[in-house]
Amino acid sequence: MTPMFNRRSLLATAAASVMTLSAGAAAAQEWPTAPVHIVVGFPAGSSPDTIARLVAEPLSQRLGQPVVVENKPGAGGVIGVQQMLAATDGHTFGATINGPLTTSPRLVKDISYDVARDIAPVALVATSPLVLAVSAEAEASDLAGFVEQARANPGDLAYGSVGQGSGAHLTAELFAVAAGVEMLHVPFQSYAEVTTSIMGREIDAGFMAPSAAMPHVQAGKMKMLGITSTAPFAQVPDVPVIAGQAGLPADFRAELWNAFIAPAGTDPAVIARLNTEIGAILQDGAVQEKLLAMGWQAAPGSAEDLAARIAGDTAVWGAVIDRIESRN
Amino acid sequence: MTTWDGLVHGLGTALQPSILIYSLFGVFLGTFVGVLPGIGAMAAISLLLPLTYYISAEAALVMLAGVYYGSQYGGSVASILLRLPGTPQSAVTTLDGYPMARQGRAGVALFTAMVSSFSGSILGIGVLVMLAGWLSGLATRFGAAEYTAMMVLGLVAAATVGSERPAKSLAMVVTGLILGTVGTDVTSGAQRFTFGQAELMDGINLVALAMGLFGVAEVIANIRTADTHGRPDRVSLRQMMPRAADLRAMPGPILRGTTLGSFFGALPGTGSTISSFLSYALERRVARRPERFGNGAIQGIAGPESANNAAAITAFVPTLTLGIPGDPIMALMLGALVIHGIQPGPMMLEARPEMFWGLVVSFGIGNLFLLILNLPLIGIWVSMLRIPFRWLYPAIIVFVCLGVYSVRGSSFDLIAVAVIGGLGYLLALAAFSPALLLLGFVLGPLIETNLRRAMLISRGDPMVFLERPIAAGFVLATAALIALSVIGAVRRRAARAGQTPAPPGDGAD
Repeated sequence: MTPMFNRRSLLATAAASVMTLSAGAAAAQEWPTAPVHIVVGFPAGSSPDTIARLVAEPLSQRLGQPVVVENKPGAGGVIGVQQMLAATDGHTFGATINGPLTTSPRLVKDISYDVARDIAPVALVATSPLVLAVSAEAEASDLAGFVEQARANPGDLAYGSVGQGSGAHLTAELFAVAAGVEMLHVPFQSYAEVTTSIMGREIDAGFMAPSAAMPHVQAGKMKMLGITSTAPFAQVPDVPVIAGQAGLPADFRAELWNAFIAPAGTDPAVIARLNTEIGAILQDGAVQEKLLAMGWQAAPGSAEDLAARIAGDTAVWGAVIDRIESRN
Repeated sequence: MTTWDGLVHGLGTALQPSILIYSLFGVFLGTFVGVLPGIGAMAAISLLLPLTYYISAEAALVMLAGVYYGSQYGGSVASILLRLPGTPQSAVTTLDGYPMARQGRAGVALFTAMVSSFSGSILGIGVLVMLAGWLSGLATRFGAAEYTAMMVLGLVAAATVGSERPAKSLAMVVTGLILGTVGTDVTSGAQRFTFGQAELMDGINLVALAMGLFGVAEVIANIRTADTHGRPDRVSLRQMMPRAADLRAMPGPILRGTTLGSFFGALPGTGSTISSFLSYALERRVARRPERFGNGAIQGIAGPESANNAAAITAFVPTLTLGIPGDPIMALMLGALVIHGIQPGPMMLEARPEMFWGLVVSFGIGNLFLLILNLPLIGIWVSMLRIPFRWLYPAIIVFVCLGVYSVRGSSFDLIAVAVIGGLGYLLALAAFSPALLLLGFVLGPLIETNLRRAMLISRGDPMVFLERPIAAGFVLATAALIALSVIGAVRRRAARAGQTPAPPGDGAD
């Protein structure tokens, strides 16, 4: 390929994009002109999938076009983001959890996208705190007791997570540093395995979604010592917040979230439209109730709010990953 | 509520016309996707999931469960007729089912598979009803050490499957173990052999591996022989009828298979593929004439088919009583319940007895449907063999691709199935057993993660495998099995030293 040809094709591309931009305002009025696709990086029936479908149905009514949820599971949601970026039709978006936007770029070698460069935030949908759960027969009856026990025997208490670098793992590490304790990390593949192991007294504790712990708490097999949100969570209102307890900082917070994203370069008017519609859907009491039943709190906000959340979490979890890596 | 009250209660739920229709639809769809190579219960349930938003929770669960156990019936059909396992669970059925079909006894093989599947399911339901309480406790008593010791026993027990040549068997098991290491290492988070491909981070797709090794490889092998390969004759009703000797050979393997399957099904993470392999290994061990295995031994179908069906039933125990799904399909079904606002778990039996017992009764009804549906179909399945290869094989490739793609919508997996199919053909040429490779692939990651987890929790003390009684039991059983094999081999060698060596080859009877 000659440099000359290269420059010509570049110029052609530039001209084409200028045309696209000037047509942008008019196009946004007509958008969507085709069915909208939402790529989810998790399998059908998983919570990110259920949340995406919960939003997709009313979204389809509001946009006047079918909204199709496509599952492209794999690599902790990274494949879903990659698949969304591969589409260039202006009608393909993504619904993802926080991992692929915040921690995956650190944890996955050779990741093919750069969050800041390739992804345009659309809207935060919902957040979920984690609870610290232990066996019902555990010594500690509250968070202070648990922290005391962990401090007295450094490295003795073992906690389970759903894998290296998972939200459950990083939250526990954040907690350990804030509480000044040392615990042994035991990675599993699913919350089901973690809860089984806690109930079998093989490991001592684990951070998990409230809905993963609740059935076992109701059955008297497990207890929840604290929650990682800054205020009590409606699904488990009796569980005290961890922040400010047992010597932990008052701003201690760790949450998972679900968000809608678009490929970078998407018409800002389209993003604004999507953000408005999703915000309106999340105001619906029925939608909020369904989210809460699954352990998620509706969290409508602007695209800028989501961008700030991505940046903030990337920094917080990046620091935790640094500490884990320096220790190994 | 007593068990009896529960069953009566469940009958009331399961006999509602709408529930009956969803059950029938579920088992029919299950049989259908089970027969199609590559397309399994996972794909069908994923596709049906959005539909369940609009029907009652009971109907949804009964239907999805029907797909799940129905696919275990269908899976054996293509295994027997074409040596293409419809599902990974039925891969082991190819070992004796296909030789039987080649001997003109396809009808008997199918009959055996159906009857064993039905008996395994019904006995499994009995186990579920009688022992649900005890079985649900099993999950929490099995920690990493127990799983490790049990899987090692399974691997040692199964090492005899398929081949007369121990070195070739070993090579295949080890290859399977190595392939099982591809992907993100659970314990360290390191990415192994992924070559920068995000698609490989979750490991090689099991369905792609099974369909490549068996399905695609078989099609390639047949392209060479298709012209000379005579089409099977029309099978008469007489040939479909099992002989008295066939019927007598079935109850033992079915009872042993059901026992194995019920146990493994109730343990999260093990499931029906492993129980069918282990049942085959067990039958070969206890057989008076183990040399018949691989050449059309009816026990080699009856055992595994009853085991995988029993496992499919008892797999609901941890799912419904603990909220712990044993495999991805169960996780999907839990998802369906959560959509309806039902949190499966220890409280479910108390909070929603009509749902639990309704489901249990629907298992019985669904299995009756399956038997009624499948027995008359045997003739139709057998006549499928008469479809010219030039039509049948391209269709099979299409279904394999559809099935593999449907697992996670990945075109990468299509390339994988093609590459694996090519390798599978080479293995078949060299007379290696792909079933053993699959076994190593399934057991390897389980052994590795559990071994490392057990050592992590014990802070590096290997005594954990002997201090925990259940684990110690498995370790002892493994040691005994190895000792028996060594003694047997030494005896055979001593006996053979006196006479001329046995002729090579597989000596079909």
